[in-house]
Amino acid sequence: MPGDNNVIESVDHLFRRHAGQMTAVLTRIFGFGKIDLIEDAIQESMLRALSHWSYKGLPDNPRAWLIQVAKNNILDRLRKSSRDADLEEESKLLDAWARSAGSNIDAAFEKEIREDQLQMIFACCHPALTPDSRIALTLKTVGGFSVTEIATAFLSNKEAVAKMLVRAKKKLRDEGARMEIPVPSELRPRLESVLKVLYLMFNEGYSASGGEIAVRTDLCHEAIRLAKLLADHPLTSQPKVHALAALFLFQASRLPARSGEGGTLIVLPDQDRTLWNREMIGDGLRHFRASASGGEISDYHIEAEIASYHAVSEDYGSTDWNSLLDAYDRLMAVRPSPIAALNRIIALAEVEGEDKALNELQSLADEKLEAYYPYHVTLAELQRRTGRREEALRSYEFAAGLVENAATRCFIEEKIEGIRSRGSLEEHSL
Amino acid sequence: MEGFMLLLHDRTTQQGDLSPEEIQGIIAEYVAWRDKIAEQGLLIGGEKLADDEGRQLVLDDGAIRVTDGPYAEAKEVLGGYFAIKAADYDEAVEISKDCPHLKYGGRIELRKIDNHR
Repeated sequence: MPGDNNVIESVDHLFRRHAGQMTAVLTRIFGFGKIDLIEDAIQESMLRALSHWSYKGLPDNPRAWLIQVAKNNILDRLRKSSRDADLEEESKLLDAWARSAGSNIDAAFEKEIREDQLQMIFACCHPALTPDSRIALTLKTVGGFSVTEIATAFLSNKEAVAKMLVRAKKKLRDEGARMEIPVPSELRPRLESVLKVLYLMFNEGYSASGGEIAVRTDLCHEAIRLAKLLADHPLTSQPKVHALAALFLFQASRLPARSGEGGTLIVLPDQDRTLWNREMIGDGLRHFRASASGGEISDYHIEAEIASYHAVSEDYGSTDWNSLLDAYDRLMAVRPSPIAALNRIIALAEVEGEDKALNELQSLADEKLEAYYPYHVTLAELQRRTGRREEALRSYEFAAGLVENAATRCFIEEKIEGIRSRGSLEEHSL
Repeated sequence: MEGFMLLLHDRTTQQGDLSPEEIQGIIAEYVAWRDKIAEQGLLIGGEKLADDEGRQLVLDDGAIRVTDGPYAEAKEVLGGYFAIKAADYDEAVEISKDCPHLKYGGRIELRKIDNHR
């Protein structure tokens, strides 16, 4: 069937997703002790797909094909590693898995895959692991990211990431980690750890600290996928999970408008809002409404609320600055951070005027903020808007000196250029 | 129209530290190339050959000698083939130039099928 052949291009991240799903299913069947063997078998099945499909075109059911090959591969490897291995039970489970995956629409199978993936997320975010290795392991085993992709996204090198993963997997085996969703009495702290990992994953993808843009955007989408997985499961569907999903969706809806030609950073006031992803905003609002049940208001709730004010505003000017300022005040009370403080100042400038905001901003300055480029950008912007042209130029230039990311530097240089050219125009008009 | 064989040689040294994402991307390129030729009615077929050493048969002193080979240390191995239709070598070369195999370090041997009686 012509047209059908393009399934491989039309299905986003089919292989990456599939690698994550297969890892979860196979780890449930064989346990963490076999995870290296499982990962090798999956990699080999994908390389086999590469060499076969390239010549023959796609099989009727790519997913079933990959599962069948991985299944045979893993049994071969297990037989080789121990000649008298009794694999009867495992073979039965594998056969059942391959069969249900073969029928394309199998609701029970989809449900099982989601279950396996959730269990895998909890294992990867095990409290015995360091926060960095929780993220790396989640991306590798649940997300199907490669070591190189993880290293690229985190500006680390391949060897360091590989070592971290080896240590983390050993730790999980030593701890006797199992594939399960924690029992209700343990769920709360374990879920907290998972949400924190997703939050860091998303921020790493969203912040413009460097790296290849495509891989970093993928981190955001993976965090969204996993947050939605949690939000839609009866055991983990808590208000704060919905709040986190809403926050991610609102933020990510702006991604298409956030970079211009050549990857230049475009900040909120300058974004073309018609490029915002309406579907994501709608989905975000759905999760935001679901987050309102129950009495608890988490940091994620406040952050989602803040993001929602931007998401629903027609343009920058019509943003509900009063509510936004109020939300930033509440966020600063429960979880103060430099970025929240700076964003609060921007809202303050809109509500109470630039002079007051500039005063407050300057009174905030300490050693840490001084080394933080967004502080100088905010300062410069307020100085520019209050007619302090020379000071604004100095602040932008100082900010440029602190920035390593090319897209951000480009953004600052455009601002400097803007002030200079406007300045000279004004002089001409005099 | 003439028939042509594209013999795709793989370098045995190229190793797969490819991510699932990259693998999918490469497959998509091959499939797109293959589909394009098929849609123009120019594709006769294609097969992947097994990644083993194969067998060599030769008549040696009156007896057929069968050996494994080419040897594992060979620098290249015939990975598979496509059979296509084209007016002449020039056209066949143009079609072959777009094959992703070249981009990924492989070599293509292009041979015309001789069907002159």
